[in-house]
Amino acid sequence: MSTPTEVLVLDDEPLVCERLKEHLERKKYRVEVFTESRKAVDRLAQKRFDVVITDLKMEGPNGLEVLRFVRDQNFGTQVIVITGYGSMDSAREAQYSGAFDFVHKPFRAETLEATVRKAARTARKLAAQGAP
Amino acid sequence: MPPTPTLRSLLARRRNATVEEVRETLHRFRSLVEQNDRVLELIADAGEKLGGEYVFDSKYLQDLAGALRDAAHSVVTTLNAISNDRYPELLDALAAIDESVKAALECRLAVPDSPYVLPLSEVGLPNLEAVGAKMARLGEVRSRLGCSVPEGFVVTTHACRDFLRSAGLLEAVEILGRRFAEGRDGLEVETARIHQGILEASIPRKLARAIRRAVARLVKPGEKDLLLAIRSSGVEEDGELSFAGQYESVLGVSVDDVCSAWQRVVASMYTPGVLDYLRQYHAPPGCGFMAVGVLRMVPVRASGVVYSLDPNAPENDVLVVSAALGLGKLVVEGGAPVDRLEISRDPGHEVVSRRLARKEHMFVAVPGRGAVVETVPESERLEPAVAPWELAELADTACRIEQYMKSAQDIEWAIDHAGRLYILQARPLRVTAPMKPPERNLSEVVGRYPVLMREKGEVACRGIGAGPVRIVADPEELPQRLAPGAVIVARAATPRLGGLLAGASAVITDLGNATGHFATVARELRVPTVVGAESATQTLVEGMEVTVDAEDNVVYGGRVEALLRYQLFERSSFADAAEFRILRRMLRRIAPLGLRDPTSPAFAANRCATYHDIIRFAHEKAIAELTEIGWVSTPSGVPWVRRLDLPIPLDLVLIDLGGGFRVEAGTTTVTVADLTSRPLLPVIEELTLGGAWETAPADMDLEGFMSSATRSMPLTGGLTGRPEQNLAIVSKEYLHLSLRLGYHFNIVDTHLGDTPADNYIYFRFVGGVTEITRRSRRAMLLKRILESHGFVAEGRGDLVVGRVKSLDADAMVHRLRMVGRLIGFTRQLDIHLRSDHLVDEYVARFLNGEAASPKV
Repeated sequence: MSTPTEVLVLDDEPLVCERLKEHLERKKYRVEVFTESRKAVDRLAQKRFDVVITDLKMEGPNGLEVLRFVRDQNFGTQVIVITGYGSMDSAREAQYSGAFDFVHKPFRAETLEATVRKAARTARKLAAQGAP
Repeated sequence: MPPTPTLRSLLARRRNATVEEVRETLHRFRSLVEQNDRVLELIADAGEKLGGEYVFDSKYLQDLAGALRDAAHSVVTTLNAISNDRYPELLDALAAIDESVKAALECRLAVPDSPYVLPLSEVGLPNLEAVGAKMARLGEVRSRLGCSVPEGFVVTTHACRDFLRSAGLLEAVEILGRRFAEGRDGLEVETARIHQGILEASIPRKLARAIRRAVARLVKPGEKDLLLAIRSSGVEEDGELSFAGQYESVLGVSVDDVCSAWQRVVASMYTPGVLDYLRQYHAPPGCGFMAVGVLRMVPVRASGVVYSLDPNAPENDVLVVSAALGLGKLVVEGGAPVDRLEISRDPGHEVVSRRLARKEHMFVAVPGRGAVVETVPESERLEPAVAPWELAELADTACRIEQYMKSAQDIEWAIDHAGRLYILQARPLRVTAPMKPPERNLSEVVGRYPVLMREKGEVACRGIGAGPVRIVADPEELPQRLAPGAVIVARAATPRLGGLLAGASAVITDLGNATGHFATVARELRVPTVVGAESATQTLVEGMEVTVDAEDNVVYGGRVEALLRYQLFERSSFADAAEFRILRRMLRRIAPLGLRDPTSPAFAANRCATYHDIIRFAHEKAIAELTEIGWVSTPSGVPWVRRLDLPIPLDLVLIDLGGGFRVEAGTTTVTVADLTSRPLLPVIEELTLGGAWETAPADMDLEGFMSSATRSMPLTGGLTGRPEQNLAIVSKEYLHLSLRLGYHFNIVDTHLGDTPADNYIYFRFVGGVTEITRRSRRAMLLKRILESHGFVAEGRGDLVVGRVKSLDADAMVHRLRMVGRLIGFTRQLDIHLRSDHLVDEYVARFLNGEAASPKV
């Protein structure tokens, strides 16, 4: 039995966090949710996650900053970015900055889960290749 | 018989127009249709979001409201531009809808202007905002499922608001709501002040009188000591949040104390406990008005609660019954041991476990004293509160309510001394156990059932439902009401089916598509629905038990309990999230279609209550404006106006908006070979085929002749006494055909392109040469033929309006050919329709591809 995939969800809308937590936990992921990016970054500094799902626009460190923080940690953690309506530019920018993928709100929980699955595979592979 | 008012008013308003004016009007009309489609798309999209698979946030809801408002305003503005501001009242209706959607978005309660008091017999989910959720559901259980419920009435939210206003508390309530929304703490003092204010205020005379009169109606002749239960029915209790025990209910109230008990119940909305509860569930503030039910107290022998599922162990597949002697207060409030039984959910409902309590006390209602504790006689203390046969009925009723409400239920019940079961309350059960599918291997279980249909058509509303098949082949013969729990199998997804949806456990239609009006209604009511399944009415048999899995689009023979239970789990997982509640409330002001029948007098601007109504009304009226273009002056040398050369005696002027036909230099006419308009071609080709156009004048009998003679218009001339023009305004993918063939008008407005979602046919027919009976027969015939081709059609007198949407190009061509043939077939048919049974014969002739010979 493999260890469950660790996912951190960061979105300033508690409702989005709750829905994602509920959905992903049903699919056997281990999920921690944060509505404040400062606290999420603190947690990321303490613990390695396979996948981080983050909103882009937030108070405090925004999604891109969280993304850069994760990338600089070099743990192989993959970041999926959630963007609002019609913010294609910021989604692209996130990809250039190393995001694994992005999803536009509103999105199907199943679609996101499929992306998380792929991201987790990549994260595991990178971790196995020697990310600390 | 004079022509119908519709026809007369059409004639009176017809006008001449230049080609440029026509082009301009058409351009506007096209833009109206685009915005109309945009609104429908947004409604369909929002309905899909309610299905539960999507994650969305408040930004989405705001954007949705904004986009809908913009598109609906554009539709109305355009209609007024086309019609020279003929519908100013539509703007008022629109403003009211805008405000009501905004209120839903901001979680404010829109209090409807209902009477202060409504009898329970007139109460149901549609007037939830007037009567609160608890009473709306009780009314629904009474009228839809035929369960016994206590007699009574509801004091509405409107009454509550007027009371708070007269008590000078309205502003305080609003301020409290705002502060709560801002997340402020320390609101206890304000809450307590409002609570006290409500208890101390005097009730406005008008309201007190309304309540007293309603109470008096409950008193039976000679009855003394009538006792009433005064029950809260908050609008926020709308199913998603239980509010169990948060609001007060007062039992055993005598006739004279109803008003003060009502005040106590209203005041119970303003307590610190309620605020904490709302905060815990991210519930909106500002729902500061409550409806209250006033119900006769049942002379109970036993009462209690039944859960349709064990909330702590849903996988056990049992109903849980708690029962006490006397009033249910002991069960609801705890405080003494009660009987607890687990009953199998399977039909037969065997008792799985039983724990009988020693019942030393019971509550009884005593006039003048309310609910009073009494001692149970020693000999009865160990007897079960409920007999086995009563348990079976209780279990069966709970399952029926669960099926109807589509979620696990928490039901309060009572049994009187004659053994009659009453339902006092039904609300969704919060299942607290971790969500795990009840069956380990669902696919293995499902594999044991025969697959009757797989992946036919498209899913319009996801979900799973089971029940006996009820085939509705002919929309004309729609029953007023179906037995609850039936699986409706219909030929067309007509909006009229919508009226039956509330009680259905699932729907399958042969025709239709997932973006139609019907699909929207299905989603609003959360009835699992598959549309466009081609041959469901042939494959499925009346009365057979089936399970419709509208998750995977499979229909199984038999009742697949495992799937149905799975469904209960899935639903309860998202239904109480705040954004779903808000979206559901918004959609109630957006999606329902009240203006279904354009031939009805109620089809009026001031009846538009939703965006859907607005666009439906505007589209219909915009087409009516087009029909008013009576004569287009055709300046010589203009290349986009030509007369069409036809082998039949039909004078047809074509106006090209672009790509409609090819023009040879130096000609004044075009031939069928020159036509490039995709929708015009099939109509004309079929119309001109041998036999479709009846060239010989129809024989007219004396009655028909007298009727036409009294109409004082020349048979061969136009209706207005001046020559009439038949117009076809065309482009590559568009056709507006306006025919004046003697005494009737026929409009066909259609778009045919490669994107099915943009395609539609609108067909309108009114008038005729004979008396109204024969003209109405022809209208009936047209309606039946249109419906048999998947049109949604409405008729009144000699007027018929039919529409069909979102078909692919091949299906469109097929329908347009049919329309072409129909125009020819029915041209003079009213003259032949001397009796009702001839309608059947001619319908059969048409459907068999025969010509409309004058001799039958």
